[in-house]
Amino acid sequence: MTDAVVVATWGTPVNGFPVDAEEVLTLAAKAAKGLGRPLHWLSLGDPGAGAGQVASRFGVASLDRIDDAKLASFSADAHVEALAQYARAEAPAAIFLAQSFDARLVAPRLAGRLNGAVVGNAVDAEIADGKLSITASAYGGDTRVVYQFQGSGLCVVTVSANAVSLGAPAAAGAAPAARTIPVDLSAVTERVKVVHKPQVLGKRLEEAQIIVSGGRGLGKKENYHHVEELAAALGGMAGASRPIVDDGWVDSSHQVGLTGRITRPALYIAAGISGASQHMAGCSAAKTIAAINTDKDAAIFRYARYGLVGDCVAILSELTKAAKGA
Amino acid sequence: MRIVVCAKEVLDPDAVNNYALAGGLTIGADGKTLTQSAIPRLMNAYDEQAIEAALRLRDKGLSCKLAVVSAGSDPASILRQAAALGADETAHVQVDPAAVDLVAIAKLLAAYVTKSGGADLVLCGRQASDDDQGVVPALLGELLGMPVVTVARAMAMAGDAAIQVTRVTPDGDEVVEVALPCIVTISNELGTPRYPTTAQTIKARKMKPTAFTAEALGLSAAELAPRVVMTKQFVPTVQGQCEFLAGGSPAELAKALLDRLRADGALA
Repeated sequence: MTDAVVVATWGTPVNGFPVDAEEVLTLAAKAAKGLGRPLHWLSLGDPGAGAGQVASRFGVASLDRIDDAKLASFSADAHVEALAQYARAEAPAAIFLAQSFDARLVAPRLAGRLNGAVVGNAVDAEIADGKLSITASAYGGDTRVVYQFQGSGLCVVTVSANAVSLGAPAAAGAAPAARTIPVDLSAVTERVKVVHKPQVLGKRLEEAQIIVSGGRGLGKKENYHHVEELAAALGGMAGASRPIVDDGWVDSSHQVGLTGRITRPALYIAAGISGASQHMAGCSAAKTIAAINTDKDAAIFRYARYGLVGDCVAILSELTKAAKGA
Repeated sequence: MRIVVCAKEVLDPDAVNNYALAGGLTIGADGKTLTQSAIPRLMNAYDEQAIEAALRLRDKGLSCKLAVVSAGSDPASILRQAAALGADETAHVQVDPAAVDLVAIAKLLAAYVTKSGGADLVLCGRQASDDDQGVVPALLGELLGMPVVTVARAMAMAGDAAIQVTRVTPDGDEVVEVALPCIVTISNELGTPRYPTTAQTIKARKMKPTAFTAEALGLSAAELAPRVVMTKQFVPTVQGQCEFLAGGSPAELAKALLDRLRADGALA
C-alpha cells in the first residue's frame, strides 16, 4: 500500500509529454504535499521523452508505466480496468486525471468500480484538517463549489486544466524511480464498437492560436460569414457561442464553451457574445481577449483586455478590411 | 423493451446566469446555498433531451415502456412534465440531495432500475446544469454492469438488441454501436425537445409517481453515507481590466484595435 497521490495520463504526447500533464501535476503535487504522501505518475503507454524531466520538476517519486496492446488507442473498458488493477495493487489515496472528453467517462467508472468517490471540474486542491478538498466549477462557471473528501477509500479527481495556472517552473529535482506495473487485460473486450470514426477536418479549435467567435449579436445567420472572413484574414479559426449553434447558424464543431471546445488561443476576438460563464469556460484562458458588443455593460468586457462598443457586424467587416490591407 | 430516463430538478441555469451577469448572485449565510429565491426550479435541460431521445425512438416505431425516475426531495413537478411528455410510469426516489453524494444517488437509481423491472436502455442528460459533474451515468454503468456511451446527439436501434449512437466528440461526430442493455447520455446537440400538448398535460395530472425510500430499495444509511461533502459555495470574482477603445466610426475602432494588438504582439 503506497497511499500515494497519483496522476494518471494516457494519449499521444505533445511536445514530449501528455497534454495538460503539468496542470494536473500542479494540483496533485499540492494535494500530495498537504497530505504528506508521495506523488506518483502513472502513464498508460508511453508518456513521451520529456516526461521524466517534467516529473522531476514536480517532485514525482515514481514514474509508473502500464503497457498493453489493448491500451494502444483509447478503449474505455480497457483503460478503466487497467487503472482499477493498478489502484487495487497500489492502493493510492487519490488519482488525478486531466479532464479530457474520455476522462470524464473513465473517472466516474473507476470510482464506481472501486466503491471510491469522484469529483470533476476541479480548478484547485487544498488540504484542510488532513482532508483533501477540491474546488470545482459549477453552474457553468457562475459559482465554485468546495467539496471535501471524507472517510477512507479512493478519491478520483478530474482537473479542468485550462483553469489551472502554472507557477514558475521549479528546478528539476531528483529523477523519479521508473516502474513497470503488470496488469492482466486478457478478459477485457471493449463493449462499445466504433462504427464510424470522427473525420477530423483540418485543425481543431483547441489548437488554434487565433479564434474569432460570433454570437447572437450578429443579428442573423447570414452575418456569420463576417466572423469567418476575419478569422481567415488573421490566419485563425472561427468559433461560436452556444445559442447560435443551438439555433443552427453554425454546426457544433465551432461551439466554444463548457459543453463545447475548451480553447486556449493567444488571441480571442468575441463578436456579439454577452460573456455567459458557460461560454467563458471555453475561452477565458486565452492570453488576450478583445470583445465587440453594443452593450458596454456586457459581462464579456469583464474578461476582455480590449473592448469595442458598437455594432459587431460593421466592426468585423472593417477589421477584415484593415487586416487584409496590412 | 423498457427505457428508464433519470431526471433531476435544478435551479434554472439561465436565471442563475442572469443574476451572475448582473453581478447580483449571492450565497446565503450557510455559505453553500444561492440566496435568489426567485430562481425557478425546473427539469435539467439535458434530462429533458434524454426524454426527447426516448420519444424519438418510440416515434420511429420502437415498442417500449418509458419510465422516468427522479431522486430528490420533491420532484413532483418535473415528473408531471415527464408524464405529460409520454412517460408510462414515473418514480420518485425519496432522498435529501444535500445529505448524500452523487455515488449515493447512483446507488439509489441503480437499485430503482433493478427493483422496478430492469432496463434495456437507461438514458440520462450528459450532466446536471447545477453541479455540472456528469458522473452519475458512468457510476450507474458500473453499478448495473452496463456499458456507457456519453454525449449523444442521435440514436437509432440496430436490430432488436443493439443501438447505434452518434456522439459529439472534440474531433467531430463518432458513430458507435453497443449491445443492450446500456446507458447513453444525451447532449444538447440532440435538438429542441417537444412540448406536451394541453390534453397530455391535463391527463398527466392523474398519474401519481411511485415513491421509493432508500429502505425499500434495500440501501442502508451506511451504504449511502457521503464521501464527498460540499463545504462551501462561492461566486468567483473576475478581475476586470478592460480598456475601451475610443473612436467614432467602425473603421476607426477597427484600426485602433489592430494597432493595439500589434503593439502587444498579439498579432503579427
